[in-house]
Amino acid sequence: MSANKQTKFATKTQMVLFFLKGTVFFFALSILFSLLVTFFDLVGPKIIQYTVDYCIADTRSTSVPFYIRVIMDGLGDREYLRTHLYLVALVVAAIALLAAISRYLFRLFNSMGAEKLIQRMRDTLFDHIMHLPFTWHGENHTGDIIQRCTSDVDTVKNFISEQMSSLIRIVIRIVLAIYFMIGINGKLTIASAVFIPIIVIYSMFFHGKIRSAFEKADTEEGRLSATAQENLTGVRVVRAFGREQYEKERFVKQNKEYTQLWIDLMRVLSAFWSSNDFISGLQVMLITVLGAVLCVHGEITVGEYIAFVSYNSMLVWPVRALGRIISEMSKAGVSIDRISYIMNSEIEEDKPGAKEPSLKEDIIFDNVSYAYDNGGADVLKNVSFTIKKGTTFGILGGTGSGKSTLMYLLDSLYSLPDGCGRIMIGDTDISDIKASWLRKNIGFVLQEPFLFSRTLSENIGITQKKTDIKAIRDAAKIAALDETIDSFGQGYETYVGERGVTLSGGQKQRTAIAQMLVSKPPVMVFDDSLSAVDTQTDARIRHALSENVGDSTVVLISHRITTLMHADRIIVLDHGKVAEQGTHDELLAKGGIYKKIFDIQMQGT
Amino acid sequence: MKEKNIKLPLFGIPKLYPYIKPYMVQIIIMIILGILSSLVDSIYPIFNQYALDNFVGKKTLEGLTAFVILYVVILVLQVIDNFISVYMCGKVEMSMDRDLRDAAFSHLQTLSFAYFNQNNVGYIHARVMSDTGKIGVMVSWRMMDIIWNGSYIVCVLIMMLALNVRLALYVIVLVPIAAVLVMYFQTKLVVLNRKIREINSTITGNFNEGITGAKAIKTLVVEEKIQNDFEKDTENMRRVSVHATHYSAFFTSAITMMSSFALALVLWHGGVLTIDGVIQIGTLSVFLSYALGLMEPVQNVIVTLSELIAVQVNVERLTRLLETESDVADSKEVVEKYGDTFNPKKENWEPLFGDVEFKDVTFKYPDGDEYVLEHFDLKVPQGTNVAIVGETGAGKSTLVNLVCRFFKPTSGQILIDGKDAALRSQLWLHSNIGYVLQTPHLFSGTVRENLKYGKPDATEEEIWNALKLVSADGIVKRMEKGLDSDVGEDGDMLSTGEKQLLSFARAILSDPRILVLDEATASIDTVTEKAIQDAIETVTKGRTSFVIAHRLSTIVGADIILVVKDGKIIERGTHTQLMGKKGYYYELFTRQFDEAKFDAVFK
Repeated sequence: MSANKQTKFATKTQMVLFFLKGTVFFFALSILFSLLVTFFDLVGPKIIQYTVDYCIADTRSTSVPFYIRVIMDGLGDREYLRTHLYLVALVVAAIALLAAISRYLFRLFNSMGAEKLIQRMRDTLFDHIMHLPFTWHGENHTGDIIQRCTSDVDTVKNFISEQMSSLIRIVIRIVLAIYFMIGINGKLTIASAVFIPIIVIYSMFFHGKIRSAFEKADTEEGRLSATAQENLTGVRVVRAFGREQYEKERFVKQNKEYTQLWIDLMRVLSAFWSSNDFISGLQVMLITVLGAVLCVHGEITVGEYIAFVSYNSMLVWPVRALGRIISEMSKAGVSIDRISYIMNSEIEEDKPGAKEPSLKEDIIFDNVSYAYDNGGADVLKNVSFTIKKGTTFGILGGTGSGKSTLMYLLDSLYSLPDGCGRIMIGDTDISDIKASWLRKNIGFVLQEPFLFSRTLSENIGITQKKTDIKAIRDAAKIAALDETIDSFGQGYETYVGERGVTLSGGQKQRTAIAQMLVSKPPVMVFDDSLSAVDTQTDARIRHALSENVGDSTVVLISHRITTLMHADRIIVLDHGKVAEQGTHDELLAKGGIYKKIFDIQMQGT
Repeated sequence: MKEKNIKLPLFGIPKLYPYIKPYMVQIIIMIILGILSSLVDSIYPIFNQYALDNFVGKKTLEGLTAFVILYVVILVLQVIDNFISVYMCGKVEMSMDRDLRDAAFSHLQTLSFAYFNQNNVGYIHARVMSDTGKIGVMVSWRMMDIIWNGSYIVCVLIMMLALNVRLALYVIVLVPIAAVLVMYFQTKLVVLNRKIREINSTITGNFNEGITGAKAIKTLVVEEKIQNDFEKDTENMRRVSVHATHYSAFFTSAITMMSSFALALVLWHGGVLTIDGVIQIGTLSVFLSYALGLMEPVQNVIVTLSELIAVQVNVERLTRLLETESDVADSKEVVEKYGDTFNPKKENWEPLFGDVEFKDVTFKYPDGDEYVLEHFDLKVPQGTNVAIVGETGAGKSTLVNLVCRFFKPTSGQILIDGKDAALRSQLWLHSNIGYVLQTPHLFSGTVRENLKYGKPDATEEEIWNALKLVSADGIVKRMEKGLDSDVGEDGDMLSTGEKQLLSFARAILSDPRILVLDEATASIDTVTEKAIQDAIETVTKGRTSFVIAHRLSTIVGADIILVVKDGKIIERGTHTQLMGKKGYYYELFTRQFDEAKFDAVFK
């Protein structure tokens, strides 16, 4: 699904239709079977009607249509049927079986469609998020995005598979029931049907009204929840100031207010439900009485009367649900908007004709300036330097000197705006290189590495197409991680993260180094990657690394002179500017920042 | 997280009895009204029967008015009955929720830090906010579901037996079959639904990883791999969900089919009985209605029972919280003299001078298995500044936790003004301690509310004096509404440095005799750092103070420095003594000094 190059969605409907692709077949089948379910459900009372009229009472002349009589006569004459009523029972059972099969298939197809739909939404969203530019991730809160990808997605799924589907089902049921009812008696049908719009409108009106009360209760619950949360996270402050009583009173007060809101809401709700009960009850009574009257007047038969009462009662619940469903459907609109915010964010795209050149070339920073947000202070100011291919290059800088930004630019995590200089690899501007190609060929060990909740071997070998356990072990050895891993009970199969062991900062850094060594990229960047490792291990790793990097270009970012001193060339970055550059000896001779730091760091040793 | 099956006697209801008791009357009324409503529901078909047998059968409309009036009266009574019982049910639910939340929250206020260290905030929060809700629903709605459906089943069975025993037996025979069927499917579904929830949380976790790990995913160019693995999970989710639908769809279809079978049986045997004149058509129609409507309540009762079983986990967790006792609780005698957390007897409180002494203290954390202090002695006379240093995670907070009585020593004593701290109330001690945290914690609300937290009756003048003392007055003046400015949730509207300074002001306002400072590790700008250092100096002057320090430069002047490594105190002395020793402190200090100088070069 990775090549999802869909354009932006102008409307909600467009996006929903896009997600519905591939599910329509299932939903169509589910509607078809729901039609059958309704049909079989409605046939039941008819059979009872015919049985009562034809066999039990003797009113067949008016109620039973000619063709039914032919069928019934085919089964045997009236007398035969009267003595063999189990035949009717068998017909009812057979229809029940058909209804059951249809019901099963309807629900199954509906679920298949719904699950396919939600799967497609999740996959598409995840894929889209994977391909959004890194800056987008900085601008949006993780919690909010997850909310959109989980609960909003659920809401949309329910909208399609529950609400829309119920709506269609209910409408089918009402239409078919009314058709059958008209077949019995027009007057009675009118008496029954007038209640439908009344109940639906009443319920829609009510649910529309009550929504703000629900929202208020939700907000209040959020506040109460936040108070509890704050108390728990601030438990030390509460105790240290001896304010338990105050906290208790505050919570109890809020809790009381929140509860009262709900109790008030419950009163309104139960009044609504009861009044609805009353309207439906009246309808049922009206039909019972009117039906009896018509029956006495001979307008309908006993069987028809019984059938009609069944049809009427079959309509009570669907009609009552209708108003609620319609009024709740509007909620989905908000969720669709929230999802389309993600889907309409622009993904990272390579320039047309982007190349995949060799990266075993010189890397040139040419007059590069960069500011994080528009109009913000420059993090980098007119930075120019060249990293010769196959050499080791050191960058020394203080906190906030812009050294990491340099590398984020090189890896195209941020892109340079026009007029802010350029970064070249050989003769190619990096903006003309495919981002994935660039990143694949530049190994980047982050200062605070991110480990996936997988096993250690999966983490180290994450860039491998096929797991090569030997390569993983070799890489771990160079990164001085092998002994640590062996000390875990499950060795390389040890789970990392929430479900497994928690690694220390140094262990994480070493894992990330091993991870990069597995793919042996032509350019390797170590962004302060040994900061959490003790000095001896640091030296051991550096020694092992120098033997294993081969002809790769290596960039070391550090604040430890010992890490950088053997580099072929070193620059000192100060507040976004290149303050000094040269070899270790040249920089020492210069007597500037580098020398000062060297003196400080060498003092103790 | 794996869900566990928990079995409690009677679904755990006896454990909740104290919370149910206040609503006993309402619950009994609810139950009676619920049974009445079901009774009426089972009577409606009788109206049909009457209409069929008396109007239709006898071809007369005589008595129709009375019939209508009776019908409407019963309907109105049932509507009123339903209104009252549903409203009461909701009210009982919400009231019990509220009581349980209050109880859980209040109880948490008395628990020791051992509890908070062993259980994370999310877990405790779920006990207070979500378990209580689920239990409330169980005691109200779930119970009423059983009453409504159960009494309906009983009423219908009685009606049927009263009308015609033979015909009734045909229907009744199907009930246990339906029940067994429902139980079988319900058990299957519970397992599958649990699996679905587990996969669902995996998927949420995946989203979280995909978003928080964006930088790593991009630099490693593993988008495709992560996407493929994600799609494996969503595919798994689809498969399991559809699998679950097989069962649930089969389940509902089977139940409705059972209803139709019951109908067929009644039509057959009832038809024969009617033809033979044993029963009238009206009776047949009643049986037809009953047969159709009986299976669903059977299903409801069983599904509700399985929900009750599921809620036991929540009951267990919540009651365990409520039964947890603080391991630093005040003794009975102490409570009698000084009062408890919620009812202090301040008139009996002695003034606190500020002498602290550790006397032969041995300590291990309740959840740890190693002694972090063994036979530890330390005298801290009033006004002494004690600094505690060591690497992150070395266990620097232990001493402070003991002084504050957040934990109690395994053996030995901590004397405050020469008297064992356990002989005085915690609240007394806490009222005299000021505490500034590593990660300053402000409560949502205004600046004023936060500052007055430790001294609710502080005057405007006192507040400003405290702010000035720590040079935080400028911050407040710069804010739009001054002291009435909102600090946001967890003080989000302020920077870390500002929060730190305000929490100093808060501590100083309550004028504590003992001050505890847990110094910030977060990097803050130089100006604020200077301000904070000044503030520390100001507030510790003349007070017994314990400073947990990360920047060693701030504690050079401390009266005693305790050096902690791997949880144990390995060196103690003044700065000069410790530097002369050339031990661990010396190593820590020089390393930090170098780092500070490194950054200084770039400034």
